[in-house]
This record gives sequence, structure tokens and C-alpha cells, in this order.
Amino acid sequence: MDMNSAQDGTTSVPGEAEPLDAWDMAVLGRLARVVEERDPVPDGLVERSLFAMTLAGLEAEVMELQRIDVPVGAVRSGQPLEARTVTFTHERLTVMIALSAADDGVSVRVDGWIAPAGPRAVELRQPGTTLETTADDDGRFVFEAVEPGSASFLVRLPGGTPVTTPVVEL
Amino acid sequence: MSGAMQEGTVDVGDAEESLGDRAARALLEYRDGRSGALTSLVREATPLLWHTVRAQGVDRDAADDVVQSTWAALVRHVDTIAEPKAVLKWLLVTAKRAAWEAVRKTRDDARRRTELPDDVLESGAALPDLGPGPEATVLDDERDQILWSALREVPERCQQLLKLISLADRPDYKAISAALGMPVGSIGATRGRCLAKLRAVLTDQGKVSWT
Repeated sequence: MDMNSAQDGTTSVPGEAEPLDAWDMAVLGRLARVVEERDPVPDGLVERSLFAMTLAGLEAEVMELQRIDVPVGAVRSGQPLEARTVTFTHERLTVMIALSAADDGVSVRVDGWIAPAGPRAVELRQPGTTLETTADDDGRFVFEAVEPGSASFLVRLPGGTPVTTPVVEL
Repeated sequence: MSGAMQEGTVDVGDAEESLGDRAARALLEYRDGRSGALTSLVREATPLLWHTVRAQGVDRDAADDVVQSTWAALVRHVDTIAEPKAVLKWLLVTAKRAAWEAVRKTRDDARRRTELPDDVLESGAALPDLGPGPEATVLDDERDQILWSALREVPERCQQLLKLISLADRPDYKAISAALGMPVGSIGATRGRCLAKLRAVLTDQGKVSWT
């Protein structure tokens, strides 16, 4: 739908060529507030973006995985209630991450699974630290105690471009 | 355009410096090894990107990722953006395209899922979450409510434009309109068609003072 097409024709709206005045500024200012109130920017998005930019500066070439919705029923039974599963995918790779409380009650335990399976180096990158592990032959990997906060996973494919996930909150 | 351009080649001292100007300066400084202005830009322009993405019907989780990856893409392309003045538009267009891609993926995904007979419960979950409807949100100020309902009386594209304009600076009107695919000609900092329409609606409703 084009605002300049049929419905509006080419008729001008009275006042459209006038300069912005105090009324316009007041209304736009109020509108900004209402827009923000109705659909607030998520907490931490600025920080996650800044961290994603830092990571982008480190790895020029990556394939970005996309987060996908997984039906609630797909979470395996027997997991603690507060466990959270996030799945990322791309044409060549799917990474599933299950988050739960670590044994110390403060950290986060990350159970991951990569498909197609194979021993691959996995990095968990957080502001200031990087943890590394290797997925086993079944594609499983674990980080037993991770600080809560922003994190991005990077999977190294033999001879290929590394694959990363968006920055998520653990 | 050389990557070695110094701050000052963009009108830094201009009292009318807009978000678009600050974006250009942030890019030039970042190329020069200074990231402070870019960090400020992320803080300032993330709401604009967020609402640009959400206006395409992307759910909140996916929109979070799209906004991040837009900023990450800026860093990756920092040396290939030929025209620093166009950075704001570049960000908006990149975010919008990534949003379309996310919507397409969600739809494909939903289609695949609804093909499974036992998956009835999930079929509704893939619809874009546009947040609470107007009736669910308590706007605590009467004028907010009047403004919100007046906004719904202007054409849909105008609603989008006005929401985004409100989050930027007025001189960015042109960049935002162009990024939305709504060429506005040499509109500059004039009121423009959408704002004039909104004003007409609000004026018809009378009494309330807006200034």
C-alpha cells in the first residue's frame, strides 16, 4: 500500500509543507513515549548488541544461526521446571541449548547438542571470558557452571566458516 | 571516502546535528579506532531499530536477534559503507530486510508445523506476537489515549512512519521515510503529509492542548 497512491491521490494535505512547530514537537515527543510504553525495548538489548558487535569485530566471517521457536512439548520431561531450551538453526547446522541451574545454585548449567553430530570445538563467549569445550561423537557438549549474563556460542566447523548464535541471556 | 577521515569532516558542531549525523560521525570515529561514539549510537538508535523490526510483525525474541545482528553487521561492513551520511538509512534498511527474513522463516516454520496433525496446540504460537492490544494497555494519561486512537485513523504506513520519526530527530525524517520505502521528496524538516494528517485528526477532536 502506497500512501501516495489511489486512496490519497496526489492531493496535498493542508499544512504538510509547513515547517515543524512546537505543536509537532510536543505531539511527536508524546508519541515516542507512548510507543515505548506499549512495546518496550527489551532489557539488556543494548548490552547484547554491544557484545555482538565486539564479537563481530573478532570474527569477521561467521554464519549466523537463527533462533527458532520450539513447541513447549518438545522440552524433555524430567528437566527441572525452570529449565529453558533455545534452538538455533541454519542450513548446515542446528544447535540446541538447554539451560538449568548448576549444582552451586548460582551458575547456569548449559547442556548442548549439535546436529549433524560430530566432534567439533564449541566456544561459549561472554564479555571478558571464553570457555571452550568439544562436542562428543553424538554432538553433545556441556558447560557445567557458567556465569549468568550475555553469551554467544561459536561452533568451529572443520575447514569452514565458524557458526555463531545471537547473544542470549543465560 | 577514505577510512582515515577525521572527526570534523561531518558537521559536528552543528546545533542541528541529527541522529543521522551522529551515526555518520560514529562510523568515521570507529574506522579511526575510537568506539565511544558508536557505543552512544547503539544506545540512542536501538529503540528506533527495535520498533522498525517490530513493525514488520516480528516477535520479541526474533526482534532481539535481528537488532543485535544489524549492529554486528555494521561492524562487519564498517569499511565498505561508502557514504557515512547514509549509515542511519543503511541500519534501517538492513534491519527491515532481516525482519522480513525472520517473518518468512517463522511462516515456513508454522506451515511445516501445521502440517503435523497432532500439533494443533502449537499452530497458534507461531503467529507474530504484536504485544498487548490497545485495550490491554493502560495508558495512564488521557492525552496518550487520545493520541493513540487518533494515530489509528491515519493510514497504516503513516502510523509506522510517525512512530519511527518520533524516536529519531526531525531532520532524520527523510532517511527514515526512504528506508520505509516512502519517498517524501525534498521534505526536509517540514511537517509532511503524515504528520499533517495526524494533526487534522487531533484538531477535529478539539479541546485538548498539546503544547
